[in-house]
Amino acid sequence: MQKSPIKYVFLLPAVLWVLAFTIFPLIYSLRISFYNIRLGRNVSAIWVGLHNFARVFTDSRVQESVVVTLVLLVTTVTAQLVLGIALAVLFNRHLPGRSLLRTLMTTPLFATPVAVGLLFLTIYYEEGGFINSILPWKIPWISHPQWALVGVGLVEIWQWTPFCFLVFLAALQSLPDELYEAARLDTSSGWRVFRSLTLPMLQPVVILVLLLRLTEGLKVFDIPWGLTGGGPGTATQTYSMFTYRAGFRHFDFGYSSALGYVMLIAEMIVITFFFKRMRQVYE
Amino acid sequence: MRHVLRLLSVLAVLALGLAPAQETYVTFNADGSITIRLLTDDETVTFAPGELGNLVGPGLQPYAGKTITVTTNSGGVMGGISGPIYQVRPAWEELTGAKLNIVEIPLGEAFPQVFADLQLGTGQFDGFIVGADWYGDLVEGDFVVPVDTYFDNPGFPTWDRSGFPPSLQTLYTWGGRWYGTLNDSDGQVLYYRRDILTDPAIQAEYQAATGRALVVPPPTWDDVLSIARFLNGRDLNGDGEGDSGVVLHLKVNAQGLFHFISLAVPFVVTRPNQPFWFDPDTMDPIINSPGHVRALEFLIELSQYGPAAQVGWDLGEGWDYFLRGRAAFVFSWGDVGSLVQIPERSDIKGKLGASILPGVREVYDTASGQFVAVDPPNVVGNTTGGSWHGMISVLTPNPDVVYHLWATQATRSFSLWNVRQGWTGVDPGMAWHFVPPYGNASLEAYLSQGWNADDIVEYHRAYRDNYFAPLNLSFLRIPGAFEYRQSLDQNLSKAESGQLTPQEALDLTFAQWQETTDRLGRDRQRAIYRASLGLE
Repeated sequence: MQKSPIKYVFLLPAVLWVLAFTIFPLIYSLRISFYNIRLGRNVSAIWVGLHNFARVFTDSRVQESVVVTLVLLVTTVTAQLVLGIALAVLFNRHLPGRSLLRTLMTTPLFATPVAVGLLFLTIYYEEGGFINSILPWKIPWISHPQWALVGVGLVEIWQWTPFCFLVFLAALQSLPDELYEAARLDTSSGWRVFRSLTLPMLQPVVILVLLLRLTEGLKVFDIPWGLTGGGPGTATQTYSMFTYRAGFRHFDFGYSSALGYVMLIAEMIVITFFFKRMRQVYE
Repeated sequence: MRHVLRLLSVLAVLALGLAPAQETYVTFNADGSITIRLLTDDETVTFAPGELGNLVGPGLQPYAGKTITVTTNSGGVMGGISGPIYQVRPAWEELTGAKLNIVEIPLGEAFPQVFADLQLGTGQFDGFIVGADWYGDLVEGDFVVPVDTYFDNPGFPTWDRSGFPPSLQTLYTWGGRWYGTLNDSDGQVLYYRRDILTDPAIQAEYQAATGRALVVPPPTWDDVLSIARFLNGRDLNGDGEGDSGVVLHLKVNAQGLFHFISLAVPFVVTRPNQPFWFDPDTMDPIINSPGHVRALEFLIELSQYGPAAQVGWDLGEGWDYFLRGRAAFVFSWGDVGSLVQIPERSDIKGKLGASILPGVREVYDTASGQFVAVDPPNVVGNTTGGSWHGMISVLTPNPDVVYHLWATQATRSFSLWNVRQGWTGVDPGMAWHFVPPYGNASLEAYLSQGWNADDIVEYHRAYRDNYFAPLNLSFLRIPGAFEYRQSLDQNLSKAESGQLTPQEALDLTFAQWQETTDRLGRDRQRAIYRASLGLE
């Protein structure tokens, strides 16, 4: 049984799939990142060596988009984690209507991000949009560089906090009650129980959620795309948006591939770091 | 088995009998003319005998069994640019026997999607509605079919090229050959509230406040600024709220940059075919010349008298603000003039004024490197925008079928129907689109579509003056136009939202354009740019 070759037949589709749709594009894009390439009826590909990678580190537009991405990443992921844990702790208690509220809480998660961006375009609309119509002053949600970034961040938080909440709630519900009963004999402070008991036990899950949100957050694209288009100016243009524009708006495929590879390396560093940390926690 | 077959036969006969009679959209008239019914508008268009060519006629369906797919801007059955194609589709399919698939692509995605299809050789689109600035990429890339080979073929619909102003003809041709078929004509003109600017009380108040007469239409941009400043904050539509002097649509990655382009031309261009974008000898950008910088400074100053939200507004929001009577000025495309006539969308029908974009009294002289005074003001027309029209993909196996569709849209009868509507997004530009004394179109036909007689005279005068102006902006149509434009657009938006000074924004554009030119090949770009200016 162990030596039966049939297992290779069953494995073959998956191997072919990965080869065709992961390995080949990866190798091909690495190759074209060393070229100034223009596709078309008269394909031209000029070898430029590391020039495209050098451009990534000298292009002011890249630097701007990195700053935007990092600002969004740090602020929104922090807020998502904090709010997610807070809501999970709240919903881990007996609340009236808890099931309904929990369902409502998770609905943003199922909305398409581009559609969410467009939805918030109407909510943020500065002349009579929902928010500005109930506020005594007008907030320039879309037209002011910093406010636009705040606006994008709030939508990101609104959409992805439920994900953190769901995972944390599941983790909380799996914690043994006996430990809490024992802890209550030592202290009556809920905060101390949370800090000394709940949080340490949640740490592996927190790291996992952080890892998932960081890797997703680094690629943030659709919400700013639908909401602001990256503007005003480039105030909300993220790294992924810039990469997309380089490739599919300007057809600068070599540069776009180099940008993609730099992102890939950054993500790999993040993932490696967090996996190491997770291993330490588990060990 | 026999019973089953019998039952099926009976059911089939019943089904045929119960099926509704097939709708007919085409009527062949006794005099040889052809009348078609449009899809939803309950309207008809009658083509003169022979206007649709001799391939079509009673009992003839020259393209039966063929299918073509064309792209157009997103908008739906009653949307700008897309709507007319939907409207003519059933009749055209009935006439030719062909099947027409329409693919809508959002404006910002249109060029990338079409260009990707061509570059990758997929060939999923047989034809496309293109923007005039795509020509450099499409024609130089050998991606499109010239259409002038069809002009003398009596089989195809005939369309009138005699009314083309040179400024627009340039947009439909490349290297002396026609690649586009008539559809839309784009250029920006100044729209204003005629009722307010010609109000004697307002005029007297303005004179007292500023010491200068309120001339209508305003001859210079300084006059527009002064009037906008004067009217800003006043109630212009009687709703008790303060309104704006001007409204702009400045959203980035949309069509905000066209405001700058149209406004900046008279600051820089003083002679025919004068470069506006690059030095044709070196291909170095001139986009950060003192003239361009002053124009951007002016635009930002003007924008102070509009709603702050306009930095994030696309056409719809900007136009709506003006149509609801909330601004005294807007400078934009022909759509505004026709949308004003639709009561459901506009509160200012009968109050519209329009003129060619104003001039400036001080222009930047590239030779001396100084600003020099000019009298009369330097006024320059523009063909800013898409001038959206049909082209044929070189990859299509059915170029004749695609041409037949585009040529049907280009016929005088259909084109006139198009420009008389408020919603089609197809704007007038041919001499025969304009009512007398600016052209020879029927005023009655426009009035029967609900146009206000005074509004239409203003509107057509403005566009006639614009397209037939002695000086006109040479539109940027070289390969990479999309990329050059996007750099400019983003940097303009940074200046308009206070992230950069005008000088910094245009210097940055200069640097980014240099990089793009080097990547695309400076010599090739220079040769194409020179050709586009008629220098070679």
